[in-house]
Amino acid sequence: MRVVRGVYKEAMGLRIFSRRDTLQMEAGMEIYGRAWASWGRAVIGGMCLAVLCGGSGRLSAQVSGQQGIAPFATAEQGVEVAAAKADALALPDAPVPVATAGSAMDRGDSLSSSSSLQAFALNQPPSNGPSLSDLGLTPADTEGDAKRQALMDRRTHMLKIHQRLGLITVIPVAAACISAAGAPPERGNYSDTTSRDIHIALGATAVAMYAATASYAIRASKVSHEPARGGVKWHKYLIYIHAPGMVLTPILGAMAYNQINSGQKVHGIASAHGAVAAATAASYGAAILAVSWPIHLKF
Amino acid sequence: MKRLSLFATLLLALPVVPLLKAQAPAPDQKWNLDQSTLTYHMSHPMHEVDGASRTARGQGVCHAGQCDFLVAVAVKSFDSGDSNRDLHMIQTTRGAQFPIVQVRFRLAQASLNSPALDCDLEVQFAGNTAHYSHVTFEQKIEGTAHHISGVVPATLTDFKIDPPSFLTIPIKNAIPVRVDMMWHAL
Repeated sequence: MRVVRGVYKEAMGLRIFSRRDTLQMEAGMEIYGRAWASWGRAVIGGMCLAVLCGGSGRLSAQVSGQQGIAPFATAEQGVEVAAAKADALALPDAPVPVATAGSAMDRGDSLSSSSSLQAFALNQPPSNGPSLSDLGLTPADTEGDAKRQALMDRRTHMLKIHQRLGLITVIPVAAACISAAGAPPERGNYSDTTSRDIHIALGATAVAMYAATASYAIRASKVSHEPARGGVKWHKYLIYIHAPGMVLTPILGAMAYNQINSGQKVHGIASAHGAVAAATAASYGAAILAVSWPIHLKF
Repeated sequence: MKRLSLFATLLLALPVVPLLKAQAPAPDQKWNLDQSTLTYHMSHPMHEVDGASRTARGQGVCHAGQCDFLVAVAVKSFDSGDSNRDLHMIQTTRGAQFPIVQVRFRLAQASLNSPALDCDLEVQFAGNTAHYSHVTFEQKIEGTAHHISGVVPATLTDFKIDPPSFLTIPIKNAIPVRVDMMWHAL
């Protein structure tokens, strides 16, 4: 073999040899080559034997290590990568990150991270790790349902309004209870109706807001047929007290109002107005507490 | 000359064979998750809530000295003791669209019996993937059972979850997940 050109290009830069230098190198190599030819054969034979005897495990470890470099490769992508590597066996390319279908990388989501992604990539799982199907999970278990998510979003939106309105409704309910103290005629004075009118206005506001609050809970989509557990169970039980109470209280109040306006003392079922209203307000407050309990103040 | 070559061959091969045998990886192995309790903790100025799931499934596959583990649990399986809160949690974490939480990690097979396991976790949850490096789990080995416990320092922002609020006050960002698992080799 003769070097025709005196210039060699190496991958990491240019090294220039003169023609004379290369011929001297060739002569030296020939002498060395003859002396080591027989030893070289022996060494190569020994290495082949060593590889045949015990090198397979090491070889497989190296292969699996290469698989670990491109952890997100799918089977198809793996074939492509393998083919590309076969074409360029002489000079292995730097690994190219490949994303699996459905992975965060593939979806284009940014990988939120509490730590370094680069560091993780070095210790990367699992082209050959277990899959969800290995765990016995069926596609029905693992596939998402966008419609159901939208239904839940809608439900949560309505229940948030229910919660907000319910808390605001506490104000007119409490005010109606407080103003009730001035509603009955004092010492037979049936002509002064101001405080009674205020009580009626507050009561009516409370009932209207209660109805609006309830409507959001009633119209919220039902997403689970399982029985309620926890505080919401009591929240629902208490409906059976405050809902009829919110209907009865204004009816009894109107009856009492008419009796007072006609100069009569409140009598009959109308006399239960105060008690029904108190029970209603108490159960309403309890319903709010039920979904807030237990409260652990910790700031 | 042939004798010399044969001698050289044997001379070179003999020390190499046991060396390569010693470096050969441990045999392939499978691991199964028997029992588990995964508990998230949510903190609000008025509430401290724990939600637990006992239905996680997990498997590990060891090959060439490396073990790949996968633990999966359904978002809806977490029970905080309040069905309304659990439904709200599913909605907030987009659990209907992404029903499974997946945790993957890789360990060296040689480290599987050590009392502390240093894991790099890849967690897929709520449509996002977060990585937690060097999460340490304690391990107690009782016969064939490996009892592993620790805490994954998850946060809401890791998974782009909007923090739910109560009385206009949002919950804290940290939602640490306590892990208590029992594995055994198949």
